[in-house]
Amino acid sequence: MAVAPKQSAEGNASKISRKRVILWVSIFLVVVFCLAPVLWQLLTSFKINDAISAVPNVYFPSFDQLTLNHYMAVFTGHPFARYMFNSAFVAFCATILCLATGAPAAYALARLRIPGHRIYVAGVLIVVLFPYVLLFLGLFEVVQAFGIGNNYLALIIPYTGRNLPLTILVMRSFFSQLPKDLEDSAKVDGYNTVQMLIRIVLPMTVPALVTTGILAFIFSWNEYIFALTFVTRETMKTLPVGIAQLGAQTVFEIPYGPIAAATIAGTIPLILLVLFFQRRIVQGLTAGAVKG
Amino acid sequence: MKPNTIRQREQLTGWLLALPALLLLLLVFAYPIGRAFWLSLFTRNLGTELQTVFNGLENYARMLGDGRFWSSLTHSTVFTAISISLELAIGTGIALTLNQAFRGRGLVRTVAILPWALPTAVMALAWAWIFNDQYGIVNDLLLRVGLIDQSITWLGDPVRAMLALVVADVWKTTPFIAVILLAGLQAIPEDLYEAHSIDGANPWQNFVKITLPLLAPQMVIAVLFRFAQAFGAFELILVMTGGGPAGATEMVSLYIYDTVMRYLDFGYGAALIVVTFLILIIAVAIASFLISKTRIDVTGER
Amino acid sequence: MRISKQLQSIKKIPRTLVALIASIAAALFFILPALTQQPVTIKVLIQALEAEQLQPIVEEFEKQNPDINLDIIEAPNETNQVEDLYTSAFLLGESPYDLVYMDIVWVPKFAAAGWLMPLSDRVSQEELEQFLNGDVNGGTYEGELYRMPFRSDVGMLYYRTDWLKQAGYKPPETFDDLVQISQDLQSRDTVEWGYLWQGKQYEGLSAMFVEILEGFGGFWVDPDTLKVGLDQPEAIQGAEFLRSLIKKNISPPGITTYAEPATHRLFINGESVFLRNWPYVYGLALDSPIEGEFAIKEMPHSRQGSSGASQGGWGLGVSANTNHPEEAWRVVEFLSKAETQKEYSLRTGYLPSRRALYTNPELVAKYPYFPELLKVIENSVLRPPIAQYSQTSDILQRYLSAALTGTMSPEEAMNTAARETRAVLEQSK
Repeated sequence: MAVAPKQSAEGNASKISRKRVILWVSIFLVVVFCLAPVLWQLLTSFKINDAISAVPNVYFPSFDQLTLNHYMAVFTGHPFARYMFNSAFVAFCATILCLATGAPAAYALARLRIPGHRIYVAGVLIVVLFPYVLLFLGLFEVVQAFGIGNNYLALIIPYTGRNLPLTILVMRSFFSQLPKDLEDSAKVDGYNTVQMLIRIVLPMTVPALVTTGILAFIFSWNEYIFALTFVTRETMKTLPVGIAQLGAQTVFEIPYGPIAAATIAGTIPLILLVLFFQRRIVQGLTAGAVKG
Repeated sequence: MKPNTIRQREQLTGWLLALPALLLLLLVFAYPIGRAFWLSLFTRNLGTELQTVFNGLENYARMLGDGRFWSSLTHSTVFTAISISLELAIGTGIALTLNQAFRGRGLVRTVAILPWALPTAVMALAWAWIFNDQYGIVNDLLLRVGLIDQSITWLGDPVRAMLALVVADVWKTTPFIAVILLAGLQAIPEDLYEAHSIDGANPWQNFVKITLPLLAPQMVIAVLFRFAQAFGAFELILVMTGGGPAGATEMVSLYIYDTVMRYLDFGYGAALIVVTFLILIIAVAIASFLISKTRIDVTGER
Repeated sequence: MRISKQLQSIKKIPRTLVALIASIAAALFFILPALTQQPVTIKVLIQALEAEQLQPIVEEFEKQNPDINLDIIEAPNETNQVEDLYTSAFLLGESPYDLVYMDIVWVPKFAAAGWLMPLSDRVSQEELEQFLNGDVNGGTYEGELYRMPFRSDVGMLYYRTDWLKQAGYKPPETFDDLVQISQDLQSRDTVEWGYLWQGKQYEGLSAMFVEILEGFGGFWVDPDTLKVGLDQPEAIQGAEFLRSLIKKNISPPGITTYAEPATHRLFINGESVFLRNWPYVYGLALDSPIEGEFAIKEMPHSRQGSSGASQGGWGLGVSANTNHPEEAWRVVEFLSKAETQKEYSLRTGYLPSRRALYTNPELVAKYPYFPELLKVIENSVLRPPIAQYSQTSDILQRYLSAALTGTMSPEEAMNTAARETRAVLEQSK
């Protein structure tokens, strides 16, 4: 470094390789940081009880220290498949409803210059920040009033509403990037607004709908406080609540293995979603947060 | 006359399109908050056998002398402040890394958003297991490295329990910040750096002089989002510590939930919600002020 | 013209409605009875551990009552969580449970919220008198019975007979005796610790403190006037006494994190002279190295107070909105029967709630300490039977714990606790 000018080519090379090293070290750290807790849980879920409670910990279990029993215990001892169905059903319905109501609203806000749209958007921007805990009391009374406790609707409606702000923000930014000529020429062709929306705009919107839909689905699948409060029946519980309850089942000994197995089994759908839709999730998050 | 009716029809269609969403938003957001404001003026608890009795501002007066409310507010603030600072630092690091070109970047990005996508309640169980005092991996690693010479309780000690919560929260939500900052990084034009590096600036100077100021709006937005979420953090704390030991990790969200669902003190719970809501709104106002400021600065620099 | 048409069409609706209602009613009258020939299902939520222990009783009940299907739904074992599950279920309006299996401290809350059916008309006074007073009182809210006692529980003092005899002491009557004996035996290196109790911040701390309050002649909350006594000199003395036990090393410093299991383990391992705990320890101690070297008695007290034993226990209430109150009541009757309680106690070691069973030869043969226990249990004191009990108890736990760990002085802690308790109760009426 001190004799820099003479051997600039060589120095450059070592600089680049050093940069490379730093880069790969940070990549390694990022991967470890993000995966370690999940991997530890994965490992725990396959270890026999003796290996789970071994001190010092077993990081590389031998073949006879592995078992599938924890998974069997989770699926046979608890209505685990039922939890999963509930989560999937509720999240799916909420997502569809959210897109069906959010996308038209976003279009109206982006394109149709309806009076009051500024207030509408400002309101949406504020409520996107509201934590669930501020809403549960009022929603609980709504659920009581409609008598829909222990009913899928008690979750579908709040989840739909809860994901609307983000949907509207993402879809609105998408619609405003859409070339306006298309719609204009459609109008010249004699389409009215609704026809034009369905025939021309909707087909172009599918990618954006998928993006927001995935976000809404993930949020709904993961939601806890409403699911804990509006549903008390075992057969109606969603996955996060069902799994969290496993931890409190026995006084004497906490079933670490089955908990780990449940964690892994319950997160696999989400891991798959992330694997397939990484790009869209990133898009959706940034569109919602930054462009809003 | 005709263009006007077309315009009117278009507006009418617009409103019809926006109406279902608006109704849902009113039901899910406006009603609960409005209802909390209204209910906070009444006593409705077990003492009144769940009858609603008007009491004016008594709930708010009671809050002033409620030690538990103030300590939960302190815990929330501490938790939020430490979590967000760490998340911002680590998130920037991750964003800078992911912004580089390297083989398998797509895969690493996928890995990097994984924590964000997993259910908090479920991962809270995983973290409780990681911090387990007997078989936890944290103790095991610290023992192996020699930082401690016997296992320590994490979730049973006030300070360490808070630390464990912060670690779990940082793990869970840093990806979100990283993603937002990454988008900001990608929007910074490369020639800015090139122009600067001709002046002989090193990477650190580049980072401080160019990257940070241009990233400021994204940072404020990310912090705002995270502030709201961390202040409302619920399942992570409920599952990992339940607010313990000895109430040392009880946050406002948990206190609100207990007041309503365990004590059935609906009027007071509503007042707690109102106050938390107001704190949040003030924070949003400050943040939007900051955002408008930074936007001006950035354009001014450009 | 149009208006009248509209009116007509409005009138038409009720007619179809009437027809609809009529057919539903018909269905209800003719089809439902046919359906109810099948057994009625009575549901109750019980913590998993006890649900398992109750299984033989369920089978016996269903054998004797083929028209009722008793369905126990397993709940988490943590008492708090069971309470929360019942609470959410009732708040949501349609409770899925016909019966409520209740801890004694839930009764006022559930009754005040209107979730329980009054039972006074169903039981005669004579019948009730056969149960322990504390259990009956604990099931009563504002003069009305809401919970039939099933099994009882009570706090008491365990002491080491061998060491006391060696040193020439009688079992302690007062707190001073307890302190003196402890310190003496500790100074002679007979034993590590003098006295163990539950000092962790949880419901058990409140249950234990009720005995201390009674011992010093103080009170927590008067259920009739809702007066709060935590900042009275007696209550402050009580908190100071507990703090002094830690300061004088009579109780280990870690006691502020001990719940029941931690304390009974130390006692059974012979590391303490005295222990405050529930009856379940007796059976464990009989099976341990200290077998034959310990006994139980009622709690000591100070000169101005009297001995108190904290009342616990479980019983059944009938849910206010059940469709089958008669069938639910038959379950309650079955569980409160003497035979059922005797069989359950023999099998599990839990305490019955019927007084006569404590002198029942079969039970005494298996549990020789039952007659002694009866004396303790007749002295029982209730935690305040007020609707906002859980809130009140959380406040006490918080500040008492602060006093015990030394983050606040006992006086300051009790004053604050009293102030916050008043703020909660003031909003009552």
